[in-house]
Amino acid sequence: MTDKIKNPSDATGISRRTAIKTLAVGAGVVATTGTIPGLLRPNQAFSAEPIRIGFQVHRTGIGAAYGRWYDRTTEAVVKRINDEGGINGRPIEIVAEDDGTDPKRGAEVVEKFANQHKCDIAFGTLFSHVVFGSAPRAGELKIPYFVVSEGHHVASGKLNRYTLQPGITDVKSQVEAMAPFISENLGKKVTMIYPDFAFGHDHRDYFSTAFENQGGTILEKIAIPPTETSFTKYFPKIPRDTEVIYHVMVGPAVLTFVKELGEFFGPSRPEIFGFIDSLEAVDMASPGLEFLDGTYFWEGNPRYAQADQTEFDKAYREAVGVDANGASISDSKDVSTYAHMFGCWETLYVVKAGMEASGYKGPEDRQKLIEAVESMSEMPHSFEHPQGAKLFNGKTHQAFGHQYISKVEDSKLVLAHTTSIEDTLYEDEVDYTKQAF
Amino acid sequence: MSATVKPATQTIALFALLTGALFAPMRAFAHASEQAFVLLLPTKVYITSGVLAVALTIVVLALAPQTMSHGLLRAKRLFSKNPQSHSALTMADITSIVTTLLLAWLIWTGLTGSHDPLKNPLPLFIWTLWWIGFVVIQGIVGNLWRWLNPWTGLYRLCTSFKDNPHRVALPAWLGHWPAVIVLLLFMVFALADIAPDSPTRLSIIVGVYWLVIFIGMLLFGDQCLKRVEAFSVLLSFYSQLAWFGRIKNDFLTGFAGWHALANPTTTISAAVFVLVLLGTGSFDGFNETFYWLNSIGINPLEFPGRSAVVTQTVVGLLLATALLIAVYAACIYLGVTLANRQIYDQIGKPVHFRQAFCYLAIAILPIAFAYHFAHFLTAFLVNAQYALAAASDPFDTGADLLGLGTFYVTTGFMNSHHTVEAIWLTQAAAVVFGHVLSVLLAHALALDLFGSARRAIISQVPLAVFMVGYTFIGLWLLAAPRGA
Repeated sequence: MTDKIKNPSDATGISRRTAIKTLAVGAGVVATTGTIPGLLRPNQAFSAEPIRIGFQVHRTGIGAAYGRWYDRTTEAVVKRINDEGGINGRPIEIVAEDDGTDPKRGAEVVEKFANQHKCDIAFGTLFSHVVFGSAPRAGELKIPYFVVSEGHHVASGKLNRYTLQPGITDVKSQVEAMAPFISENLGKKVTMIYPDFAFGHDHRDYFSTAFENQGGTILEKIAIPPTETSFTKYFPKIPRDTEVIYHVMVGPAVLTFVKELGEFFGPSRPEIFGFIDSLEAVDMASPGLEFLDGTYFWEGNPRYAQADQTEFDKAYREAVGVDANGASISDSKDVSTYAHMFGCWETLYVVKAGMEASGYKGPEDRQKLIEAVESMSEMPHSFEHPQGAKLFNGKTHQAFGHQYISKVEDSKLVLAHTTSIEDTLYEDEVDYTKQAF
Repeated sequence: MSATVKPATQTIALFALLTGALFAPMRAFAHASEQAFVLLLPTKVYITSGVLAVALTIVVLALAPQTMSHGLLRAKRLFSKNPQSHSALTMADITSIVTTLLLAWLIWTGLTGSHDPLKNPLPLFIWTLWWIGFVVIQGIVGNLWRWLNPWTGLYRLCTSFKDNPHRVALPAWLGHWPAVIVLLLFMVFALADIAPDSPTRLSIIVGVYWLVIFIGMLLFGDQCLKRVEAFSVLLSFYSQLAWFGRIKNDFLTGFAGWHALANPTTTISAAVFVLVLLGTGSFDGFNETFYWLNSIGINPLEFPGRSAVVTQTVVGLLLATALLIAVYAACIYLGVTLANRQIYDQIGKPVHFRQAFCYLAIAILPIAFAYHFAHFLTAFLVNAQYALAAASDPFDTGADLLGLGTFYVTTGFMNSHHTVEAIWLTQAAAVVFGHVLSVLLAHALALDLFGSARRAIISQVPLAVFMVGYTFIGLWLLAAPRGA
């Protein structure tokens, strides 16, 4: 199932013929709109009305740290798209509203986008509960709602035809895709340590099923109460014959967790695998994290520029203002949410492609836009998709893509393995295209 | 923080609930990783040191000569100024009118500018520069609000600079109660509303509030500012902690709190206003702790958003404030009872509970002020950067009026052990200093009130215990894991 491809640019799994076909479609769009990418400056070129994109952003509330980087990425991609001639010759105008990382406010914000700000689409939400709160309103108001959430809620069929997630993969595919690598490279006997609520339960359920299908065994499932801030008492529950610890701790006590795990095991430890969600935006050189040297992390997008960095990643980093260590170019301590924020970049390029393919002119063409996106499938690794190639499932409204597994070496994350897209696929759970608009 | 800390922290948090002593940062501006570093700091050692510092201050004051606290809080006259004629336009009127125009412009940009609260100048000005920055400056420097409030200049212009032109007298029995209610409403808005930063919503609220107060001034004169307009009352109180101040025509300077000693509160409503300041300020942040979230059935790692806890927040805020007032009242009652028992042979007059309740309340002010500073420090460090960017591009059009170039807001200082420790220690130092000042002020006020050192010291025992406990809680709250 897994291919041991290290270079993400080679890992698309997409044939050359398909790539050429996609490029040809792009060229056709350019020809029909009469715009030549790169030659138009935003302020001199556009006389047309802008495409108004409602940006539902976590400015305040628990998502604010992510929201800051989502905003920064969105600004960068909008500038790039506008510099390239916009969408159908029209510039993008971002109308940002803070959702407070709150589902009720999220729904209000979507309503404002549709009714007050006259936006063409809504875009950008990360936190699942805000997506859940907002998506029904988007469906009622018939405004396309492009989320960048990672949640499985879109593909699970719980939302509606107006809600799509084409720019970031979902947690179910991410977790399941880890099973082959772990069983083939790290060990067959796993102990899972996870927070005892929905987020941790998803990992527990998706991973244990996938891992057992690989012939592995879950020796122990250690659920940690969410309010816990010290973990020493849980570590004796780790069976002695554990070959791999799979951890997904989150929250303010995560550094304490790593420190105490290091103190518990000392120099002789099993293999350790975690999700970078635990340490997203945390400097890997932080005190206490030395213990993680030699351990593995899932990364949505490799935070550190790799030795064989692609031109796509390079251009994306430069545009967002992120250095080779994944930190802001203005402050090396300001580490970005690199594993997630690319989703904003890629989603807006999907929106652009969808609007151009559908000849989108205004809100009356919203259904055409959704149908155009639903008809998409392969998205090649490119400047538009710097994280890697994607395979979009129009029925489930969900993108699938490569997942990255990095090893901590000298306090940096070095890419060790790239999964194939096939590793991330699972059975469809819904067909949104059968739902009426 | 190790496993052994947990029972202690739960006990402390329970004590916090019982005493109504609650606090920390408001909306989650803070980066998620900051608390992760705080949890690795030796906060137990820091908390113990802070509490001991306050306890030691109490012992030193009890043993020191009676004149010591007054000596420390004695002001020096800088200069005197002849009374100015108020019948013409003054410089303070002009600066006030400029502030009015600035506010009008801010409200306009709030309604018409970016909808992003971190790009629109209005929320950044109100919540960051004014509510955090200006309040702190006022409490350190002096009564700048007299020059910069957005009402008095225009009001005096409208009333042709007459001293007492109002037609209706604000009933004396109302005291400061209207300001108490306005302050409570404001805190409910700040903590429980689901979008207090929304530029549109804030514009409307600020605009309507300005208008209501202005009409109130036209009806009741400047009594409206002194007893209804909660922020003028608040800023007037905090200015009494400043190093510079004015009493009649003398401009004076002294150690923080000298002005408060010279001007103790005299009414129940004014005393309650001070207590509400501390109670609500303390709850702001306690409501983010794991303890509080867990106690209202919320998973702190999965905060569902403000809309899910509106009722709990409002009830918690009011309960916390009520409990703080009750605990303060109990301390005063016990102190007065103990001190009055020390009257022998008709020497010395008994002090009434009501008198002491009012007189000593201003001693609580430094704690509230210190919490305000500590509580908002990280938010200010982040959002002041956004304010700078907004000043350079007020209409979110890509302008760069200040020539900042490519400007990225950073939270990197919350992502490094050394800077997080420095920030935490600054916050903790402020909290400890606030309590030390409170102890000093309470001691000096008690000497004035009870007349004898022995009675003053005895009267202070319950309040001293309260202040030591509050130091403990305040520092613990700074160190506690937060989830909202």
